[in-house]
Amino acid sequence: MISQSKKVLFLFFIFFNGIINSESILIQNATIYDGKNNNAFVGNVLIDGNKISRVSTANLRGDKIIDATGKILTPGIISTDTGIGIVEIGALSVTRDDSSDLYKIGFSIYDAFNPNSVLIPWNRSNGITSTLTLPQNTDSPIGGLGSFFVLDSNLEITGIKDNVMIGRVGGSGGESRSETFSIMEDLLEFASSIDSKDIESYQDAADFIDDSPIAETMELHPRDLKALYRLINDDLPLIIKANRASDLLKLIKIKEKYDLNLIIMGAQEAGLVANKIAESDVPLIINPINNIPESFDELAANIELAGDLERMGITLMFNAPRSHNYHLIRQGAGVAVANGMSYEGALKAITLSPVEIFNLGDRGQIAQGNIADLIIWDADPLEPSSMPEKVFINGKDIDLTSRMSRLTDRYTKNKDKPNGYRN
Amino acid sequence: MTKLIKYSFLIFACFIEAKPFESTYEPLPSENILIRNANIYDGEGNEFNETDLLIQDRKIVAIGKDLPVGSEFLIIDASNKWVTPGIIDIHSHMGVYPAPGVSTSSDGNEATSPVTADVWAEHSIWVQDPQYALALKGGITAFHILPGSANLIGGRGVTVKNLQRNTINSMKFPDAPHSLKMACGENPKRVYGNRQQAPSTRMGNAAGYRKSWIQAEAYLSRLDEYEAKSEEAKEIGYAPQRDLEMDTLAGVLRGEILVHNHCYRAEEMATMINIANEFNYKITAFHHGVEAYKIADLLAENNICGALWADWWGFKHEAYDMVQANIAIVDQALGGKGCAIVHSDDAIGIQHLNQEASKALAAGLRAGFDISKARAMNWITSNPAKAAGIYDQTGSLKVGKNADVVIWSKNPFSVYALVERVFIDGATAYDRKNNFQPASDFDVGIISPEKNRIEE
Repeated sequence: MISQSKKVLFLFFIFFNGIINSESILIQNATIYDGKNNNAFVGNVLIDGNKISRVSTANLRGDKIIDATGKILTPGIISTDTGIGIVEIGALSVTRDDSSDLYKIGFSIYDAFNPNSVLIPWNRSNGITSTLTLPQNTDSPIGGLGSFFVLDSNLEITGIKDNVMIGRVGGSGGESRSETFSIMEDLLEFASSIDSKDIESYQDAADFIDDSPIAETMELHPRDLKALYRLINDDLPLIIKANRASDLLKLIKIKEKYDLNLIIMGAQEAGLVANKIAESDVPLIINPINNIPESFDELAANIELAGDLERMGITLMFNAPRSHNYHLIRQGAGVAVANGMSYEGALKAITLSPVEIFNLGDRGQIAQGNIADLIIWDADPLEPSSMPEKVFINGKDIDLTSRMSRLTDRYTKNKDKPNGYRN
Repeated sequence: MTKLIKYSFLIFACFIEAKPFESTYEPLPSENILIRNANIYDGEGNEFNETDLLIQDRKIVAIGKDLPVGSEFLIIDASNKWVTPGIIDIHSHMGVYPAPGVSTSSDGNEATSPVTADVWAEHSIWVQDPQYALALKGGITAFHILPGSANLIGGRGVTVKNLQRNTINSMKFPDAPHSLKMACGENPKRVYGNRQQAPSTRMGNAAGYRKSWIQAEAYLSRLDEYEAKSEEAKEIGYAPQRDLEMDTLAGVLRGEILVHNHCYRAEEMATMINIANEFNYKITAFHHGVEAYKIADLLAENNICGALWADWWGFKHEAYDMVQANIAIVDQALGGKGCAIVHSDDAIGIQHLNQEASKALAAGLRAGFDISKARAMNWITSNPAKAAGIYDQTGSLKVGKNADVVIWSKNPFSVYALVERVFIDGATAYDRKNNFQPASDFDVGIISPEKNRIEE
């Protein structure tokens, strides 16, 4: 855990050193939801460089003043389950970098990330300032590495490489879930047997694979081995997609046996086993608007799930997994509140909770010393009709122009010109 | 002459529209109701505050202040609440792509031939789909079920009341016209192109529609020729053999079946309008139309509705040019003559069409249009009712129409608004407060034997 956050700080130091603003920005008189589940208060936030240097109800001085009277200020929203930067168009495989046929466990999408994707300005203009981008599940029950990206459009990527592993149980797989669990346990048993010296060189790792039936059967590569080693020894967060109540219980047992940093995603039947989930302190990523019993694993899907789980003390994060609809995470959060979740809790689920669970550094909360990823909203951020008025990423006031806003202008302004000659 | 036309039409109608599968819908038991002191969007672009709505004999009989009623009326105090017409979704696959989404009941695309005008979505519907009840809690009182978009001509759609029943006929919306699903673009050319058969290109798509309409014209003229014969000549001759595909297409050419056309790109919609002009049929609505904003005036000139999402995009190339103001731009075409519809095509979206309308409205206001909430309400009520051909019966709170009514806890353009009560034909179909809600047979005892699937 400590080594992870040191790495994070180091990365941020490198990336943000070059872009420090010369003048401070004071956001004045905003209604502040800090992201940490605290009640809102009216106050002032001073941005110095890439950081929040003061948060106070007292008057502050700044070089540039933004009056946010009557406006809500929140941390930038963090989407926890996206293809942002690695999928440009869903149905066009030539624009997808989210899957590998060769690597099953150590597949990383980090180097595929495209900071020029049109999804980035679009999501920013909707208030999403950073993302946990995940690959598709591989044909191994655990495997595939996701990364954290800050949506600042810098060609030099700002983020954390390979900070999460994914996996899945049940659902569309053709095999028995019992086989899935067996493979998962065999892989974890194997992973627990890896010593750091076994993966020192490529040849060491290759030899180690040759001696293991499960590694051979799964056709693992040295790259996969390193990822497994990290899973056991570096407390790497492991997001398993699972929905059926019995699967959730089994995953909790596996977590306890191998001391995994487990997060369950989907979790449509979590309400049936909420006390066990709460007891074992497993955070969940759910889509609060999804109440469709889309498979026989999800029969208990229920629109009141988020509120029910919150009342059990379970840590929640949200996703909006439908292709390209990551911006709808706010609508989902609003629906969660409409159906029984607390407002502050729903905001925390899309700001501070992902930071705490995935060790994303000093962000996700409006607090002194944190990275200044901030949104000033034109109205209630959990109303899907609201939009950001201003977005700050790393303390920088971001232009909210997107391809969508350009196209809108093209067809609402200068209509006397042929469209090819409009701005 | 007029009489002759009318007469031949009747015979024709008998021939083609044998009217099997007729609606046997019967409403739930109703009461006479006064909804008192409500804020009302009437679905005709009007907003009334602190106003009463009177329902009698399943119909809307009055809207006004302080309406006097006798003691036999059930009085519902709707102070600080909002009332709208029943919400209508013009694009649903509930029943034909039910939940759970398993292969055995995935019945929405007869993807075995690019033209399947002979198939009817209603013959695929699974009446126990648990999704209808979820949509009801979102205020949906009627919806239009379409075949999928794998085919150029995918078959007939059907409009149903949102009351789950044990037969399809008993869910069908009485006197609703049939519809025809057509599809442009990537889907048909991908499905059939991958099999090395036509169409594999957009020009192949266009050729496919035109060939079908040429056949339909020939079929129709054979029928006309037969119908023009004297009774004696008919008795000694043979009637042309019925053809299910041609029945449907001829129904479109006669203006009896409404065309609902899945189409994303602007230039393809324009091409489809050319084809409709060539064969003299009308397109009722383009569905999905992510690029409708690029040809909004053309749609308005041709009286074609745009049935659109608020902000879905990017899942394929033809959905790449999304703008959130799409719906508003279509609505405001030719100085407000456009017909905009917010559709779902999705079992989650159908539960929140009010929120989708809210996003689309907000985007329109940001783009500089002056559109009221009352008008935006038309996008999910009267406009889809018009496109489904049921506007004479429902879709707005006009006196004389069916009492399809929703009471909301708050203004329905807010995400926090919950549906409190839904009336279909003046009968309570859902009542949040009293936990009165339907459950399909699928929901019964499926997780734990003594309970329904979701019990609150």
